Amino acid sequence: MFPIDYLPFVMVAVPLVGAGLVLLSAPASRDQARWTALTNVILTFVLSLLLVSRYRVPELLPPNADAVDRQQLVDQTLQMRSSFSWLSPRTVEDPVAGAQRVVDTPVRLAFAVDGISLWLIVLSALLMIPAVLVSWNAIEERPARFYALMLLLEAGLIGVFSAQDIILFYIFFEFTLIPLFFMIGIWGGSDRRWAARKFFIYTLAGSVLTFLGLLFIVLSEQWMSNASTLTFSIPELTASIQQQIASSPRNADYWQHVSPWIFAALFAGFAIKVPLFPFHTWLPLAHVEAPTAGSVLLAGVLLKIGSYGFLRFALPLVPGASVAHFHLVAILAVVGIIYGALLALAQEDIKKLVAYSSVSHMGFCLLGLFAFNTVGLTGGLLQMINHGLSTGALFALVGMLYERYHTRDIASYGGLARKYPRMAFCLLVVAFSSIGLPGLNGFTGEVTSLMGMFATNRLYGTLSLAGIILGAWYTLSLVRRTFFGRLREPVQSHQHSPVVSHHQAHDHHHTPLADLNLRELCALGVLIVPIFWIGLYPQFFTRRMQPSLQPIVAVLQENGAVMLSGTATPRGERPVQAARPEQQSVNNTTSR
Amino acid sequence: MADFLVRAIPLFPLLACFFVALFGARWLRDKSHLPVALGCALSCACAVLLLFSLPPSASNPSGQKTVTLYQWMQVTEPVVSGIPPWQAGGAGGSPGLDAQIALRADSLSATMLAMLTFVATLVVIYASGYMHDDRAYWRFFAIVGLFVFSMIMLVLSASFLQLFVFWEAVGLCSYLLIGFWYEKPEAAAAGMKAFVVNRIGDFGFAAGVFLIWVTFGSTDFAKVLDASAIAEVAQRNPYLLTTICLCLFTGAIGKSAQFPLHVWLPDAMEGPTPVSALIHAATMVTAGVYLVARCTPLYQLSPTAQSFVSVIGCITALLAALIALTQNDLKRVLAYSTVSQLGFMFLGLGTGSLVGVGGAMFHLVTHAFFKALLFLGAGSVMHAMGGVIDMREFRGLKKLMPQTHTTFLVGALALAGLPPLSGFWSKDTILGAVYEQAHPHHVTVSADEGTVPEATGEVNSQVTPFGLPRAKLYNLLYWLGTFTAFLTAFYTFRAFFLTFYNGPEKVPHAAGHHAHESPAVMCRPLWVLSVGAALLGLLFGHLTGVFDGFLGRTIPGLAEAAHEHGINWTVAVVSTLVALAGVALAWVMYKEESPIPARVAALAGPFTRLSEQRFYLDEVYKLLVVRPLEALSQVSRFADWLLVDGALVTGVSRIPSLLGQLPRPIQNGLVQFYALAMMLATAVLMWALLSKQT
Repeated sequence: MFPIDYLPFVMVAVPLVGAGLVLLSAPASRDQARWTALTNVILTFVLSLLLVSRYRVPELLPPNADAVDRQQLVDQTLQMRSSFSWLSPRTVEDPVAGAQRVVDTPVRLAFAVDGISLWLIVLSALLMIPAVLVSWNAIEERPARFYALMLLLEAGLIGVFSAQDIILFYIFFEFTLIPLFFMIGIWGGSDRRWAARKFFIYTLAGSVLTFLGLLFIVLSEQWMSNASTLTFSIPELTASIQQQIASSPRNADYWQHVSPWIFAALFAGFAIKVPLFPFHTWLPLAHVEAPTAGSVLLAGVLLKIGSYGFLRFALPLVPGASVAHFHLVAILAVVGIIYGALLALAQEDIKKLVAYSSVSHMGFCLLGLFAFNTVGLTGGLLQMINHGLSTGALFALVGMLYERYHTRDIASYGGLARKYPRMAFCLLVVAFSSIGLPGLNGFTGEVTSLMGMFATNRLYGTLSLAGIILGAWYTLSLVRRTFFGRLREPVQSHQHSPVVSHHQAHDHHHTPLADLNLRELCALGVLIVPIFWIGLYPQFFTRRMQPSLQPIVAVLQENGAVMLSGTATPRGERPVQAARPEQQSVNNTTSR
Repeated sequence: MADFLVRAIPLFPLLACFFVALFGARWLRDKSHLPVALGCALSCACAVLLLFSLPPSASNPSGQKTVTLYQWMQVTEPVVSGIPPWQAGGAGGSPGLDAQIALRADSLSATMLAMLTFVATLVVIYASGYMHDDRAYWRFFAIVGLFVFSMIMLVLSASFLQLFVFWEAVGLCSYLLIGFWYEKPEAAAAGMKAFVVNRIGDFGFAAGVFLIWVTFGSTDFAKVLDASAIAEVAQRNPYLLTTICLCLFTGAIGKSAQFPLHVWLPDAMEGPTPVSALIHAATMVTAGVYLVARCTPLYQLSPTAQSFVSVIGCITALLAALIALTQNDLKRVLAYSTVSQLGFMFLGLGTGSLVGVGGAMFHLVTHAFFKALLFLGAGSVMHAMGGVIDMREFRGLKKLMPQTHTTFLVGALALAGLPPLSGFWSKDTILGAVYEQAHPHHVTVSADEGTVPEATGEVNSQVTPFGLPRAKLYNLLYWLGTFTAFLTAFYTFRAFFLTFYNGPEKVPHAAGHHAHESPAVMCRPLWVLSVGAALLGLLFGHLTGVFDGFLGRTIPGLAEAAHEHGINWTVAVVSTLVALAGVALAWVMYKEESPIPARVAALAGPFTRLSEQRFYLDEVYKLLVVRPLEALSQVSRFADWLLVDGALVTGVSRIPSLLGQLPRPIQNGLVQFYALAMMLATAVLMWALLSKQT
């Protein structure tokens, strides 16, 4: 039994090893590749459950908490930490003190989990199971490489969420692009090259800016703290910067001036990843061309990296700038919710419809995060997981339909419920989860996001409520047009388009036109169980999130978020203690 | 005891639902109704016992009993030094969330429960006959079980958030049951229409719940519906209270099919008839009425919201009655009549007087009985006619279906509001309450009892948002209501005569040669319901005061107010006469086959068409909402392609290659040019270095 502290690290390592094993297997043997991959993702998922069971929920912030309490809580929530150096540490002679000193690289392989990353790691590990299962028969060409890439992607995703070092985070952040780039580019649809390139360059362009922003944070922190070495550790940076903003007027002034630039840099990468309107156009293309597993993972987890970035970096590291850009982000989110829903309504391609619905749903997520209160942040984080589950399941279902008929055109389907009752049941559950029906997961995230935003700003909260009407409209239209009414099946085209046939040259057996088989039921089942669980008993999940969210909220409140809702104070009294960050810094400057 | 009952009531249908869902398709098959019928019956027994196990005490005057099941979600906002708490506008305006799944039983919910489970049991028994040949027999009963559970939980909700949860859950069941025969495109479309239109109402409801949450810091009934808390909010910001009331009412408009969101209910008749009876007549659609009745303390402090509720209710009642006049589909007549009767309930709720609220709730209960009876009767006809429900296709069925005929007559008389049947008592109370508002000198009771803090006289002189002084407005509403009562009697008996009389027996082809009275399993529930429809008013209405007395535990002051109010003889006599007139007119026109109806229809020309075409409301919606939204979505699709992806993204992606074009002419391949450039550059460099040195 290994020490439990290494668990996050092990969870990154297991899929990496798995990828190697898959590649080692005989290239021609599809069975060997897929069974190895499946065993590996199940093992990782079991490890993620161990992660949950070993995660101890700390006490929430005491009343009238100060920075010390907050720091203490952050320390408690960050569990199962492990840290390795890149190089072996050297011992050198310190010329000044004359003593020996251990010199280590400031960049470390540091892993840990807290309440924010916990569920995202579980989500990544969970979604891999349906991703492997839906590829079972769909991937004919070079299966070993496909599954190896998928496992690399899993390692990257778990790494992104558990990395506690900025450089490590960034490496994983970019690393997730590469497997998906190949998955789309090699196993995708007819326009896969263009889709893969657009997806890669678009997101890379944003994330390079994000990297500059992250580096600037590191440099600024060192400069302001007069430390001799750079620190890349995310928790240390967060603590140090928050302390600098709060304590010294000179530092606060400095951060006041640079934070809008940092925010802009972070925003560039994360907003594209989310994707926030108007940076969403890479998404439908990538989804349409991606193989089913690619779509499941892209929508299910990759988009979450963007919102995770906002929650992990933008909000705690530049709280003042985040608050200052409240209206910008909230308006983009609200526009995205409604615009994405309208676009989804106009689509004739099932995958495009689901892709645009992602734009709409991720809008709710950002709306929750930028509500700057615990209810909203909880909602935003829940919404990330819920969207991963329901949209992942939707894409899986679309893939199953595609395997049977090789078309995604909504108009060519009708009345399938009669022929595929199991699929109809699964689709109804997933569709209603996506609509936000209470009792299923979608509701918990949407309602808390909206409540949080409503508390902060009534207008945005109310406007985005309109998204739930449109959401019901386009989702139920999809269900009605494909599964209800008279049975209408697309003509089975044995003549594939040339590109497809190239890849499925030895695909002589079609998926039989039968209802879901056991493999497909398992793929959907692992998603439907948490869909009900989160819907019926969200407290199990939110209880573990909150200790990590509260300190962020406290910082945001101290940095002016409290003023946002000030215009509509419930008891009719305007808060007097808290001042806007600008005013605060001005006061500080004058007092100096 | 109460504790056990409250837990048991929702549990039985839920277990039945699970049981049927798991074992229905394989093993239960045509016995799938048994678990659900048993679950509903047990639940009904518990609900009846519950009526007697909520005794009020000194410490607990309402006799309410709350059982917390589990913590659904708890989110605590940090209280940080230097940041004011939520009450003072801090903490991001958020009071934190403490949502529990709890069951709250009081006399109001117990009444609803008893009615709901009783009607549900009968409908399930009836459905076991009606749905007998359906291939998805088990699916039907599984969803009905889920519905009964959800509706029970809705009624037992202890907070607005929980109410919203089950509000949507019953909407889901409604969607699934309307679209039960999903292969019929109309059924699939009707189910979706119901859900989406309801979502529009839910939009308002959710906004109302959010507003309650940020105003009161909680959504628990115990905290929100607290007289002192409400009074404080009202004093601070009366508009806030009105906004909350109107938002909640929007939800009620959707669920209870009020104008202008009533359009989904007639289409919902595409579902199996037992569903129409249970969900779209007796129980689910009354959830809006229940919600407003539950929020009586809120509405009492907002005269504006009251007048809105009344006016919407009255418009709906009148409009739906006018449409019902010309419909040929028996189920649609009943559907519009449901819309109309729900309008009556809101008319009563909007009076703001406790008598009106009591009347509305009583009408809810009696309506559940006689409307379920009428729908099941219509289903019985439909069953015999081989699925045909168009009244032009059959007539003179009295001999053929004697039991259905008699029970339908009882239901029709109750709906028409003829004494001493139940409909008379409840409708009369509502009209009496409206009349009271129209003649304020009668009103002394509620003000004196101190339950309405604002003096009624002062309220009555206020000008409502509709431009009329309150008394005049309610006077108008009273007469419109009375006119609607006349229409109700007329269209009910039009349908009755057209079906069971109107010349010699005629049976559509679809029925074949063996059209017959329905089996006993379908007829017995009709008899039970008709006893209820006949006697409920007499037993529990004004004469005995039992209903008001029981409800008065939850709505303090109701019993006294009702007692003072007594029976308004003017109203009673007028509405009886009006109902008799309606029945008589229908007798003249439709008892025997006659040319009068055609002549009248031709005479009324445009009005007939307006009524037949349901005031073109579906078309108006299509033109004003559906088409523009579809157009907008196509426009956004185009804009996304042209502007966002085309101009913005592709435009930006061109920049690097454009930048690359700029220095391209320099690389022209001419050695002379390169030499020249080198020389010039060296010269510039040297000049720069030298000039810097000097």
